[in-house]
Amino acid sequence: MRIERKSWNDPVFVATVAPLALVMVAFFLVPLLMTAVLTFQTTQYYRLVWTWDLKIWTEVFSKPHYWTIMMRTVAMALICVVLTVLIAFPAAYALATRLKTFKTQIQILIIFAFLTDAVLKTFGWILILDKNGVANWLLMHLGFPPEMLNLLFTPTGTMIGMVYNLVAYPMFTIYLSLVRIDRDLMLAAYDAGASRIRTFFEVTLPLSRPGLYSGAVLVFVLSLGAFLEPKVLGGGTSPLASELIRQSFETRVNWPLGAALTMVLITIGALMLAACAAFVLRRPSTGRRPA
Amino acid sequence: MSQRMRNALVDTTLVGSVVLLLVFFYAPITTLVAFSFTSSRVLTLPIEGFSLQWYGELFNKPDFLPAVLNSAAVSTISTLFATVLGTAGAVAWVRYRFRLQGVFRGLTFAPLLFPQLLLGVVMLLWFSVLGSWLGFSTGLVTVIIGHVVYITPFALVVVAVQVYGFDETLEDAARDAGASGWEVFREITFPLLWPGIFSAAIFSFLLSWGNFYVSYSLAGTARTLPIFVYSGIAVGSSPIYPALATVNLVPALLLVIVAEVLRRRALKRQASSIATS
Repeated sequence: MRIERKSWNDPVFVATVAPLALVMVAFFLVPLLMTAVLTFQTTQYYRLVWTWDLKIWTEVFSKPHYWTIMMRTVAMALICVVLTVLIAFPAAYALATRLKTFKTQIQILIIFAFLTDAVLKTFGWILILDKNGVANWLLMHLGFPPEMLNLLFTPTGTMIGMVYNLVAYPMFTIYLSLVRIDRDLMLAAYDAGASRIRTFFEVTLPLSRPGLYSGAVLVFVLSLGAFLEPKVLGGGTSPLASELIRQSFETRVNWPLGAALTMVLITIGALMLAACAAFVLRRPSTGRRPA
Repeated sequence: MSQRMRNALVDTTLVGSVVLLLVFFYAPITTLVAFSFTSSRVLTLPIEGFSLQWYGELFNKPDFLPAVLNSAAVSTISTLFATVLGTAGAVAWVRYRFRLQGVFRGLTFAPLLFPQLLLGVVMLLWFSVLGSWLGFSTGLVTVIIGHVVYITPFALVVVAVQVYGFDETLEDAARDAGASGWEVFREITFPLLWPGIFSAAIFSFLLSWGNFYVSYSLAGTARTLPIFVYSGIAVGSSPIYPALATVNLVPALLLVIVAEVLRRRALKRQASSIATS
């Protein structure tokens, strides 16, 4: 791979880079700034009034109701991170080190499941988790009491949906960092007398840290915006932040409030992202933990 | 426990975790397929009898075909844009070094780190403000713009993998033989990157086709397929949605397989050509 230096005076280069950059500025960066600006406006009779006012922010910070929901959202996101990583790591590890024969087929199956319409997949979970659904039917035929599980319209149902819809992300990132590990390092550890398990904990796991962290942070950030799962599988019984935001737009037609809640959520995500980035960069993965 | 037994146990656990993951992934999908062929209206086991009536009912639903056409238009156009922009972006990410590259990278990657709903909301606010100034309302065009912003980073990543393994000596050879810049691109660069670009396009198309969050925020009164399903299941479940899922499945699976096979074959060819050169 050869790297080419490019100057902004080169018209061909500008033609390559500018369209994408302009699209992202016009429809991503500017909207983001606009959202921040909108939080300082107010509404009157469902219409936006252009002022510069801290009214919305005082409302956001003085209502514990919003913060209960925000805290619940963060808690759900953290649980989701732990579960997805615990599920994704062994599978990614197996895919990177074992299963040579069926690797391609398994990867295609995972990519395909990932790309299938999320609304339909979530609807599929209703059919499984329903009181008269597939899960209880199977359990009953395995000898368990009828209607044993009652997961639909509970936070557990929401969590199953969130894990389901997000687990592919850490799968991809962890897999990519595992296949990049130089096998010689592991062989060297074996030569030095380390057992397979010790090698895993002292070499493989530290070296897979970038994939682990980036997958975890991706799941965290994306689950902050979970909307379908709490609505469809949680039955709206314990709403998350996304529901709050939608309500402030649709029911209350209060754009500044919706914008402010969006900014709160974005800030939480960005802080987590920054913390994680700092953590990864500060501790270079040398394959050895400090003694 | 002996060392060998312990190793066997580890191997079984690892392989088992992949099997369990696949079961987890395909549990709702196979459930949907199974229920699409039921003859009863209620979606509970055991499935009483086999019938195709729900497929007929799906196609007879008046707002189904408009939703399909909307989805097809949105996915085709946003795939086109996302693939072209993503390819250009991937080349700039991997092969070029330029001033403000960090800014460029951050800007083009950030939408991937954004919860889709928030991406939709942020853009909805912008389009509403812009619309009240310029006198337009949200609709399919804004959905397409939203999809392009959301999908382009994915396309960029997929193409970047292909660019990374690119053998530029072929370009040099063509240039030495007297080819112009455009000819080099058309005859060498594009054909070599094509498998990556193609699978990025498939990826983009399916992401757009199945996208709910961004469309839901930006569609206004228009309906795409996922919105059709969402508003349908909000009212009550019906076997037409499993039928729809099944109809969706077959072409999508074929597309994914074709794209993956092409991309892998090309990556392998590149790897061997680099090894021998």
